[in-house]
Amino acid sequence: MFLILLLSSILSFAETTSTDEKVVGIFYMNPLFGHVHQYSVRTSASLTTIQCAHPVKVIESSKVSISNEWAYVQVADYRGFVMKQFLSETKPDCIQGKYPKFFDMLNMDLSELYYWGRLYDHYVQGETRVQ
Amino acid sequence: MTIMFRAKLAFSSFVLLFTISALSQTSKLQEEKELEVVNFKSIKKVLQQDGLSQSAKMKTKQVAVLKIEQTNLEVNRFNYPKEDELWGFVSEYWLVKNAQLLGWDFEKPDYGLEASFRKTLESLGFYQKKFKILLVNTPTLVRASFPGSEGEMILLLSVPFIRSLDLSKLEISLLLLEDYFRLEGGYFKKAVSTEKLKRLAGTNFYGKKPDMSMIEELLNKYDTQINQKGYSFQQQFETTKKMDSFLKSSPELWNAYFHLLGKLQSFLKVNVQYKDYLKLYPSPEMQLKWISPEEKIL
Repeated sequence: MFLILLLSSILSFAETTSTDEKVVGIFYMNPLFGHVHQYSVRTSASLTTIQCAHPVKVIESSKVSISNEWAYVQVADYRGFVMKQFLSETKPDCIQGKYPKFFDMLNMDLSELYYWGRLYDHYVQGETRVQ
Repeated sequence: MTIMFRAKLAFSSFVLLFTISALSQTSKLQEEKELEVVNFKSIKKVLQQDGLSQSAKMKTKQVAVLKIEQTNLEVNRFNYPKEDELWGFVSEYWLVKNAQLLGWDFEKPDYGLEASFRKTLESLGFYQKKFKILLVNTPTLVRASFPGSEGEMILLLSVPFIRSLDLSKLEISLLLLEDYFRLEGGYFKKAVSTEKLKRLAGTNFYGKKPDMSMIEELLNKYDTQINQKGYSFQQQFETTKKMDSFLKSSPELWNAYFHLLGKLQSFLKVNVQYKDYLKLYPSPEMQLKWISPEEKIL
């Protein structure tokens, strides 16, 4: 009897989690640096700073409703929001990866990494159409 | 007793002889085996028939190629970025280094600048142009334009300046267009570029000490150009004339530009806070004269 109860509770838990959340896929950070935000707002607090080409797990959750511009993501233990325009399906060709020794020699401090990520949050980016 | 001794001697000498002969036989066999292994000639035909000698040669070649590739990869890790990549990188690095001074990390409303500037560019026939606009929260830097990566432009504009002048979206777009023309004119790169940048960009520093003073020099020159040097009368004349010729095809835009220059002229005359603007961007008064239609004497 106890075993049946245990099994049914495990099954119901699995069902709940599977219906609530779905991993959309693994994407990669496109800009040089970026932030995982606490809320889906450009100026919201940063949970963590990530580098270009860092893998990001995009999650679809019924508990989280966001605008089309944002993705709900998980990076290590952090769950937060990244703008979709910063995510790429394929691993990007980053300056850090192309010129690793040059990049190391810059000895950037944490505040510089933070601001570099913020810079991309604040840019108003655009491109004129193809003729 | 003697017989016993002789028999023992004969037996031991027999054992000794047997051991020696056995040992000599074993070493010979080993040599022969080694010879057989080393001597490819004896199995050359078999190897050729099986194609094994060819695959052995191929493998040796492949290993050599892999080794070269591996060395190249290691050496390439020590490359300086190419000049085009460096411009974009240094422009952003300068913005990061001056983040607190420029105060660009602040909350602001969406001015709809992306759509407005994109439309202005497209209406004048500028297609496939990438731009990044950064609004700064300081009156000390009114405007600036930097080269980005892959032909991209980075345009800076002060929010206190926009508010003080009560600029419309169209007027902001026209200011940004002027900055785009300055960038296209190559004035910024010409003023900031260093001999070291040209010499080192795209080269390799494997086995050498990297010369990072190239970046420091560039950052200092960015400072000088943006805060002190600005643009010459000649460069302003060229930019204004370019604006004039492009906007003439659209009277609405040309009138807005003419009106904007008038607005700037009267605002900057009385506002001490923006006195440095005239040193960096001389001068709205002259710009107005340059584009004003000639008065006809009847």
